[in-house]
Amino acid sequence: MTDFSLILANLFSRKLRAILMLVAIFFAFLIFGVLAGVQNGFNNIGGAAGENRLVTINKINFTQPMPISYIERIRAVEGVARASYANWFGGYYQEGKNQIVTFAIDPEFYMDIYATDYKLSADQRAAFLADRSGLLVGQKLAERWGWKLGDRIPLSSNIYTNKNTGKQTWDFTIVGILEPAQENADTSVAFFHHAYFNESVTFGQDTAGWIVIETTDKALNTDVSKRVDAMFANSPAETATDTEKAFNQAFVGQLGNITLIVTLVVGAAFATILMIVGNTMVMAVRERTKEIGVMKTLGFPSGRIFKMVLGESLLLAMLGGLPALGVAAVLLTMMRKAVGFPGLALTLDFTALGIAIMLALGLLTGIVPAWNALRLNIVTALGRQ
Amino acid sequence: MTALISIQGGAKRFVKGRETITIFDHLDMTIEAGDFIAIMGPSGSGKTTLLNLLGGIDRATSGSITFAGQRLDQMSEGQLSNWRAANVGFIFQFYNLMPALNAARNVELPLLLTSLGSGERRSRVETALKIVGLAERAKHYPREMSGGQQQRVAIARAIVADPKMLLCDEPTGDLDRKTADEILSMLQLLNKEMGKTIIMVTHDPEAARYASRVLHLDKGRFVEQVAA
Amino acid sequence: MRILNQTIAVCSINLRSLPERFWLSFSTVIAVAMVVTVLLGFLALAAGFKRTLDGTGSDGIAIMLRDGSQQEVNSVVMLDQVRLIGEAPGIVRKDDGNPLISGELYVIVDGVRRSTGLKANLPLRGIGKDGAALRDGLTITQGRMFEPGSNEIVVGEGLVREFAGFDLGSEVRLGTGTWKVVGVFSMNGAVFESELWGDATVVQSLFRRGSSFQTVRVRLETPEAIEQLREYVAGEPRLKLEVFSEKGYFAGQSSNTVKLIQNAGWPLAIAMALGALAGALNTMYSSVASRSREIATLRCLGFGGFPSFAATLLESLVLAGIGGLIGSLGIFLFFDGFSTSTLGQGFTQIVFSVSLTPDLVKQGIMLALLVGLIGGFFPALRAARLPIVAAYAQG
Repeated sequence: MTDFSLILANLFSRKLRAILMLVAIFFAFLIFGVLAGVQNGFNNIGGAAGENRLVTINKINFTQPMPISYIERIRAVEGVARASYANWFGGYYQEGKNQIVTFAIDPEFYMDIYATDYKLSADQRAAFLADRSGLLVGQKLAERWGWKLGDRIPLSSNIYTNKNTGKQTWDFTIVGILEPAQENADTSVAFFHHAYFNESVTFGQDTAGWIVIETTDKALNTDVSKRVDAMFANSPAETATDTEKAFNQAFVGQLGNITLIVTLVVGAAFATILMIVGNTMVMAVRERTKEIGVMKTLGFPSGRIFKMVLGESLLLAMLGGLPALGVAAVLLTMMRKAVGFPGLALTLDFTALGIAIMLALGLLTGIVPAWNALRLNIVTALGRQ
Repeated sequence: MTALISIQGGAKRFVKGRETITIFDHLDMTIEAGDFIAIMGPSGSGKTTLLNLLGGIDRATSGSITFAGQRLDQMSEGQLSNWRAANVGFIFQFYNLMPALNAARNVELPLLLTSLGSGERRSRVETALKIVGLAERAKHYPREMSGGQQQRVAIARAIVADPKMLLCDEPTGDLDRKTADEILSMLQLLNKEMGKTIIMVTHDPEAARYASRVLHLDKGRFVEQVAA
Repeated sequence: MRILNQTIAVCSINLRSLPERFWLSFSTVIAVAMVVTVLLGFLALAAGFKRTLDGTGSDGIAIMLRDGSQQEVNSVVMLDQVRLIGEAPGIVRKDDGNPLISGELYVIVDGVRRSTGLKANLPLRGIGKDGAALRDGLTITQGRMFEPGSNEIVVGEGLVREFAGFDLGSEVRLGTGTWKVVGVFSMNGAVFESELWGDATVVQSLFRRGSSFQTVRVRLETPEAIEQLREYVAGEPRLKLEVFSEKGYFAGQSSNTVKLIQNAGWPLAIAMALGALAGALNTMYSSVASRSREIATLRCLGFGGFPSFAATLLESLVLAGIGGLIGSLGIFLFFDGFSTSTLGQGFTQIVFSVSLTPDLVKQGIMLALLVGLIGGFFPALRAARLPIVAAYAQG
């Protein structure tokens, strides 16, 4: 028997109570783990790659287009390695509710810039460049709808009308399947030629929805952004350029103050178990008053007893919290696969935070009973004189 | 025979409200090594307090307590803890075993205060349980045992670290006659065969007969009575 | 009858001894209160959002969008289509015989949220001359309506509340022009209160929209007249439009967000409820244990097991019920009516107020009582079946 096994025996001396405490702690940390994953997803929209990617949009708003002539001027700016453009198509498949994230892109450079996210084989890329009505679909999208290479599919737009047919549908041939090039890449997307788009829309010709810029060095991000915006200041379509990450975060940030909600819910959960476990530990140790007195009688120093009681609380917090973080990680992985929202994962820093909270919980719930045990007078503890 | 433990001018007083209650005053006693002493007296006479002082779990208000040349009254709490672990075994009226531990682990507790390895500890526990005749109950929990069996486990716990002195507070108070006799015989054995000095507080005259010396404590004074 | 008397007696003994078990009981109350707070917080958010959208629009007004657009911002309606609609049957006409009709634009501009200082997308709606007349419940609460043909705008009350820079008299830069805020309007908390309104032709020119609009609004002679309008539109090949009643259109806009909030709220509340349940069970088992002498004595006196069962169950329900009430009260006092905004379907902010309804409170209390019921049931069984001798031996 070691001090540890003694602590364990004491903790489970009342099995039902210990299990109930563990369950309460488990759920509190489960909530923490899952919400930490959500928070992380929110903090890391856009993934790790692309730190030297900038997005240029119309300063008024991202739904206003920019003249397509901007792209050549931007490509000439110092510090710009590559630049490409895309338009939001507002696509859907067959019915309005089957929304498909579709972009009309500049075929040469867009896929190159986003090679960090999407893997495209060389021959598929060649096929795309050769076929104006070619469509590149992400792996996830293809799986969802059962599309394969060579399929001819119609995609409709809820914004634009096809002037060739008078309807809102365009026909495409699938010439490439995009695989994810990094863990966080979202392959529920489709890309087609901007030229195909441009020649058949009834309005919005020769415009670019946004322009993506790859700088030669991420240290130049701010400078390049300023230069691009300065170039188009006082023109009919002024621009606003920012890092891709900032752009994405600002967008999701409009959903609401997610950080606040996460903090409040997690706070409520922890406040609750702090009360429950704290009170129970005080009660549990008080029930062992006599036993503690006997331990002291046997010669156990007060300090050692103090450490053992505190150890009990810490052990309780760990036994309840660590499995919860494990389950949270599994749940987040399942959610990530279902929703396709990259970044929905329990990262190292949040795990460390969770463990720190476990230690804090153990200390806070154990300090009072441990102190009581430390100061316990042997004679009083053993009962009447 | 050398004096193992002695009290000189021992006094125990405490303040209750505005009154000062004196348990005893100017108490002197000497116990030789190898003695088996029974301390009797009416309730409230301070028998248990005296035992507590001898065991270092309570402090005298004044006076000196000397054990094998060391002054207990001058030791700090930490020093007293260490001294107890090495020199004293306690046996209580209500056994005071840890309900969360089985018999073997209960007996092993005092050994956690030594630097013995787990193998050594295990063999000592086995020996102690064998002495009290409970080797086959090593894995049983206190709630699965009778009063007499629990007390025997408590005795095993008290001797496992081989202390010089055993302090017993009404060890048979909760037991029937037959079981009490068994326990007392065992104490006698420990005294005669293993040379343990035993100080037993009891109110049972039958129990006192097992001791070699009986002291009566009344109103803070001793009256000696030779064992019958 | 004896059972009832016994039960009442034991219950009152029990409840009166609650203060002895104060801290542990209190922690259960707080646990249940937290559960109810989280649940009601989310549900009230969803309800407030839905209410704003449901309450928006009247069924006497029809709104037309380009077929398949789904949202105003995606739609395109040309001027000649607007004129064609003006000839449709079933729509109200003005005294001079011209139709009451408003071609409208919906563009997105930037604003800054007051509470966080972060940017947000806001809608600027260009309305036609009849635009105001086609809004039921519209009142100008400050200033005045904008002059047609000018770059003046009026702002909704909700928008002014949540976003900075649009107070009466301010000048704002939207698109390529500067606009002056000359009035604030209210519309019974409808979605329109999250909008900026300006003259459609001015918006068209400053946002380079030529002569195209995005939606068309007309007033129907009767709500049923919408069918006539639909037939007319279907029969006219130049009008590829979808006709909605304004009310129907907005009601359909809320579902995604509402579902999202509800789908987040319920699982969180349930996870917290399970944790609270563990806490409640713990409290009740401790309560039974601390009263075991008392229960055993009652049994010796001849009380049956049922009174103790009932008393324990009642104690649990009372604690949980109090927790539920505190949780509901907390949301009501601190959160109900709280104004906030989130992203609507059209990528713009919709301002709404959190709305705690009696029906929601009922759901919250139900959850609380469920926790109390399960949390008390098993300990109550234990109390009823307590072996007397063991109870006296314990402690």
